[in-house]
Amino acid sequence: MNGAVGHAGVVLALLAACAGIVTISVGLATRRDSLVVRARGYVYLLLAGLLVATGAMEHALVTHDFSIAFVAHDNSRETPLLFSVTGMWSGLQGSVLLWALILAGYIAFAAHRFRARATDPVVAWALLVSLAVATFFLALMLGPSDPFAATVGAVPPDGTGPNALLQDNLLIAFHPVFLYLGLVGFTLPYGFAIASLVTGRVGEGWLSETRRFTLFAWAFLTVGIVLGAWWSYQELGWGGFWGWDPVENAALLPWLTGTAYLHSAMVQERRGLLRVWNISLVIATFSLTILGTFLTRSGITQSVHSFSSSGVGPALIGLFAAAVAAGVGLIGWRGDRLRSPGSIDSPVSREGAFLVNNLLFAAFAAVVLLGTVFPLVVQAIDNQSLSIGRPFFDAFTVPIGIALLFLMSVAPALPWRKAAPGVLRERLAVPAWIAALVLVACVAGGVRGLTPLVAFTLGAFAASVAGRQLVLAARVSRRHGFGAWRGIVGRANGGMVVHIGIVVIAVGLTAATSFAHSTELAFHPGESVRFDGHVLTFERWARIVTANEVAYTAVFLVDGARFAPGIGSFNGSAEGTDIPAVDSSLVDDVYLSVGNAPVSPRPGQGVTVDVYVQPLVMWLWAGGAVTASGAVLAAVPGRRRRPTDPSSAPPPELADARRVPAATHA
Amino acid sequence: MTDNAIPGAEQGADAAVTPRAPRRVHRARYAALAVAAVAAVLVAVLATRSVPPGSSVYTPLGGKQAPAIAGTTLVGGRHVSLAALRGRYVLVDFFASWCVPCQDEVPQIERYLFENRGDHGVAVLGVDIDESAGDGRAFLERYGVTWPSIEDPSGAGSVSLAYGVLDPPESFLVSPRGVVVAKIDGGVTVAILDRLVAQAEAVAGLASARQR
Repeated sequence: MNGAVGHAGVVLALLAACAGIVTISVGLATRRDSLVVRARGYVYLLLAGLLVATGAMEHALVTHDFSIAFVAHDNSRETPLLFSVTGMWSGLQGSVLLWALILAGYIAFAAHRFRARATDPVVAWALLVSLAVATFFLALMLGPSDPFAATVGAVPPDGTGPNALLQDNLLIAFHPVFLYLGLVGFTLPYGFAIASLVTGRVGEGWLSETRRFTLFAWAFLTVGIVLGAWWSYQELGWGGFWGWDPVENAALLPWLTGTAYLHSAMVQERRGLLRVWNISLVIATFSLTILGTFLTRSGITQSVHSFSSSGVGPALIGLFAAAVAAGVGLIGWRGDRLRSPGSIDSPVSREGAFLVNNLLFAAFAAVVLLGTVFPLVVQAIDNQSLSIGRPFFDAFTVPIGIALLFLMSVAPALPWRKAAPGVLRERLAVPAWIAALVLVACVAGGVRGLTPLVAFTLGAFAASVAGRQLVLAARVSRRHGFGAWRGIVGRANGGMVVHIGIVVIAVGLTAATSFAHSTELAFHPGESVRFDGHVLTFERWARIVTANEVAYTAVFLVDGARFAPGIGSFNGSAEGTDIPAVDSSLVDDVYLSVGNAPVSPRPGQGVTVDVYVQPLVMWLWAGGAVTASGAVLAAVPGRRRRPTDPSSAPPPELADARRVPAATHA
Repeated sequence: MTDNAIPGAEQGADAAVTPRAPRRVHRARYAALAVAAVAAVLVAVLATRSVPPGSSVYTPLGGKQAPAIAGTTLVGGRHVSLAALRGRYVLVDFFASWCVPCQDEVPQIERYLFENRGDHGVAVLGVDIDESAGDGRAFLERYGVTWPSIEDPSGAGSVSLAYGVLDPPESFLVSPRGVVVAKIDGGVTVAILDRLVAQAEAVAGLASARQR
């Protein structure tokens, strides 16, 4: 029953998508606007079909309908309700369904939002491209990745249950959803980019239409990546949060190019430059989301997250090839005619800084992409495999990260077009002093090592530059009769909040990786050990039995608070899963992991734990929250610039007369 | 902000580009061609990939003297060294308790050792990396590993550093003369060991025949 309804929903959605494509194509070809307008109905039908399919899948999961192979594989009678619901994205087939649902939601949103301009060829083409991508994922669900495929043979009395790692932590309920909201969100900007190339209207129109959209996708992706890191930190038991694993790189790559685009888009809006480059970045971002999905879902890379390999690999690489071919082909055909007339006047200017920013992000993305696919390329050439690990990535990304921090400090203070000599000195004086103070404080506080010192100093520099902009913006906003809160709203100001969030993440990342201490400690019951400033006391073993889980936990007192790392086994499996426990604070984290618990510990038995003490880990998660909030603030329409307000630094002779307003415009 | 503004902007673009030197005009096309070529190669490579687990792979150590390994065994506390095993083929197996393929390869290695038991059979030397000694010991006991295994010394004396090991399981086949003849990435199987040892013997036979 669930299977039939689900299949019906998918088929309905596929038919709707195809009908939408045909309607728009015919309408565009014959210039019949009424046809193009009608496509909107098909878009809503597409969403309806996928809502039906998703409803059927969720119903099957919640009612444990093991006649569906996916449910039998990823669910069991003992799975708690929440993890039954989230079970949809704990396997490949359900994930494709979620992907398609989100994509349909985005397309429906766009169709609704642009309904007044549905006959505009740019909008029509963008819908057409997005519908084509949706068709691809729907076809996957009727082909190699059918979420509603029937169980072969007799229906089992109970299912295998989700992977143990996926039913222990609430974060898993949200991380994939946010990640997909981010990854899928780049489809529509891609559609608009292709549309603007096809129609030849590569000016600023498509860009401002999609800017806010891209910003939301970017914010979701950021949250998704941070939640993923948080999940792996809390769940995987090795005390780390980022391992340059292919699946992590797959999410990071579009984030990097997307970040580059959000910056360079401002150059185009303000100066009309970098048009073809911006389109290329959007195309690259979307293509990388597909490439990343391919890398993680096809099973060709060895990943700790490796999902079951399946038939979706060839299809996904085909979609990647098509997306790149369409983009590159159109740029090759149209690009030269569409290039902007002007050029950047001075490297020491806001647009010059954005250009450097873009080069750095592009280099960052290239390094990550190279590190991810290089083993496969080597294998193709030489039939030998090699693995590229943290040393490679660290060697390249740490310097790029430092350079980006420096750019974050200087760039927001640079005026557009050309910096007058005194401007930088005036704007950077206070932040530079703050950075110097932080450097002195760090050295006095015992921080050693070049990378941490440079990172902390530049972090303070960048954060105080961003803070200065926010304060000035708030002041101006108040003077103009708006509330001071307006000072953190709008693109430039929200962007500064994002910068502060990124600085917080960078500082946390540097501290946690540079000053981590770990050891293995053995305890008898009641014994206390002092490690790295923390007192750990082992109390006793405890056995915890729930419907789907049997766990032995070692009850510890960490500085007086109780924590219980342990080993859990789910759904009667013999395989134990590490359940770490973390005592988090703003200063440092004490991470306990019982790597090898006795199978059934006796009451008086001792315990051996791996202890990781890492400073400022919580800053990563806090920084992620600040970054996402900043992105949302940036999407809120800001105060409209009054045409008479200066948009850049005034000529020096006017600087004294209009000093404060001149300094406020970021 | 709206598309109304665009036609003007485009005319501006045309007007500005046309009078310039025509050789600048095709830059986007060449860039697109270059990107297309790279992307095509990438797609071709990715589309034809399937990773066979546990295949023999490149190592810069190949044909060179194997870096020394010595230590006390995790279980039993005996002293073992690679040098003492000279005269036999030695499989240096880097493993970690948390690595699933490392668990899977244990019965394969056991079977190979059983099938090739005897004085001139292959010896196995395990090196536990990336974790604490307690975890490694528990792993060896849980899976009943019979060959000697040591804990990887940390710091400059690290064996995994000397061998360039990042992701266990990775194994090296060392010849009776102490030369690295193969590196295996992923879990070892009986078939792989049979093939690699046979290859090494053939190469060694050829070399000694040439010398004569």
